[in-house]
Amino acid sequence: MIKSLSVLWIYTITMDGSVGPMRVLVTGGSGLVGRAIERVVKEEGGGREGETWIFLSSKETNLVSAEETRAAFERHRPTHVIHLAAMVGGLYRNMRQNLDFWRNNVHINDNVLHTSQEFGVVKVVSCLSTCVFPDKTTYPIDETVMHSGPPHESNYGYAYAKRMIDVHNRALFQQYGLKYTAVIPTNMFGPHDNYNIEDGHVMPGLIHKTYLAKKEGKPLQVWGSGRALRQFIYSLDLARLFLWVLREYDEVEPIILSVGEEDELTVKEAVDAVVEGFGFEGDVIYDTSKSDGQIKKTANNAKLRKYLPDFKFTPFKQAVKETCDWFAANYDSARK
Amino acid sequence: MKPESSQMNGSLGPMRVLVTGGSGLVGRAIERLVKEEGENRKGEEWIFLTSKDANLLSAEETRAAFEKHRPTHVIHLAAMVGGLFRNMRQNLDFWRNNVFINDNVLKAAHEFGALKVVSCLSTCIFPDKTAYPIDETMIHNGPPHESNFGYAYAKRMIDVQNRALFQQYGLRYTAVIPTNVFGPHDNFNIEDGHVLPGLIHKTYLAKKEGKPLQVWGSGRALRQFIYSLDLARLFVWVLREYDEVEPIILSVGEEDEVSIKFAADAVVEALGFRGDVIYDTSKSDGQFKKTASNAKLRKYLPDFKFTPFKQAIQETCDWFVANYDSARK
Repeated sequence: MIKSLSVLWIYTITMDGSVGPMRVLVTGGSGLVGRAIERVVKEEGGGREGETWIFLSSKETNLVSAEETRAAFERHRPTHVIHLAAMVGGLYRNMRQNLDFWRNNVHINDNVLHTSQEFGVVKVVSCLSTCVFPDKTTYPIDETVMHSGPPHESNYGYAYAKRMIDVHNRALFQQYGLKYTAVIPTNMFGPHDNYNIEDGHVMPGLIHKTYLAKKEGKPLQVWGSGRALRQFIYSLDLARLFLWVLREYDEVEPIILSVGEEDELTVKEAVDAVVEGFGFEGDVIYDTSKSDGQIKKTANNAKLRKYLPDFKFTPFKQAVKETCDWFAANYDSARK
Repeated sequence: MKPESSQMNGSLGPMRVLVTGGSGLVGRAIERLVKEEGENRKGEEWIFLTSKDANLLSAEETRAAFEKHRPTHVIHLAAMVGGLFRNMRQNLDFWRNNVFINDNVLKAAHEFGALKVVSCLSTCIFPDKTAYPIDETMIHNGPPHESNFGYAYAKRMIDVQNRALFQQYGLRYTAVIPTNVFGPHDNFNIEDGHVLPGLIHKTYLAKKEGKPLQVWGSGRALRQFIYSLDLARLFVWVLREYDEVEPIILSVGEEDEVSIKFAADAVVEALGFRGDVIYDTSKSDGQFKKTASNAKLRKYLPDFKFTPFKQAIQETCDWFVANYDSARK
């Protein structure tokens, strides 16, 4: 293993790359969040002069393999990494394959974090989720309670693998002084999502179902009572915040990225926004025999607000409309 | 390659048991049981693997060892282990290396159709803030102590992987949770070691050099100690008979919790040390108590007799004196 001499001086550069421009490697670059970051960087001036942004996808590199991960780092020589790549799935797939979700994600995460350290990457920002938090807990949850109890039984493999990113980050700081960190989004939605109805998450699932209901002239069937509460964050807002974390957030402890508790919505309100977004006029039926999942999982965004008191989230209905428009325009190629 | 019938006593044929970490404290105790106390049943084969034979950090070397030995059962003891100060400095290495070792062993065992793997956890990985006594259901109920979180999480994840192997493949890999282990073949290094081997080594030197014995801490901290030979007997019982995926605490009962002073007195008596014993109260006691409940063990084995503490200490001290030059320190 050959360490280049540049590893020695890279530890002294400040986070905004003031000894030279950033080369940012985004793993999972073709996913929901990766595409949003790409849009912010390329179309909204999120990238700065002289910076290089590389969006890696699984087609080029299998991050479960240590060798392939190293090869990608050798090719791209990043100074910074946004680590989004993961094995992700819906409720039922998680329940059946906890072992695969645990092992594959541990390998992906270790490969990315270890290779980053080896190649002198100044900072890695990884992506956790509020779904990895303890199942039995008080609300609202905040960044300090992530490890305070076991996660929900249905996805403990995925949840522990994500939690261990934070353990790895803290150990990297304790042993080497590296400030690798992570963000914790709540429920995300936006263009380029996985809209698979069985395997997807609540918003993209609703969007796909409403599109089909309208197209086929059938009622929209929503699973659950509609009363479960969620905080939703638009992928473009998340991307803007991700860039701020990369450039400015200096803690090792992760940060929750979400709208506030006051903007928590019921699933019914989300349904109504999607129905309006598509102009769907048929019946909406709530199948109360299906599970609501957790009735609430309210997260506290006080830490974010302490840093960015004035950050404006895209209004929910507008974000939903944009996503529905994108889905309708890109139905054929959308992941589903 | 799915294992066939999960008959734990190997009724498909005799067991071939691979013991990783075979040259360590617990490995040597199991080896003694198997080779000198008739634990080896007819036709069984017991292989004691050491780091000289295979570097379990390497997936390839681990696979090669499994391919060579084709075990039907595994007792997985190998780990990167260290004392308080080394853990505090190297949490990353303790996390990563142990995750790799554990994943390599569990994965290879699965791949080669091992019917059962019994891994080794520790009460030191339990939540730092908790009620006592601790029991098997509480391992994941909060963060471990800050000083060794890397080691602690890596060990906890053995249990996560066992549960996932059961949920996805029906395999009943499991783990044991000993309290403070001691016995021959330990690591007696004073800085890096654990409390009893450290005391034994210090008392030996104090006697030899005619100096006082300096004990770190007040002596009032409480611990449950388990003799490595008793642990080995219980380990083999777990391998043969214990059918749960949830781990099992292997320890003397709460009633046999003793103070460090009590343990120091036993060591002093065993080595015939007559000098002064000084308790350096400026040094940390570590956790004051970490009482573990052995109710589950007692439910299964109500009559199991632990070696009396003073006798076990005497045997260990005798071994240390006889083997001072070659002992790990």
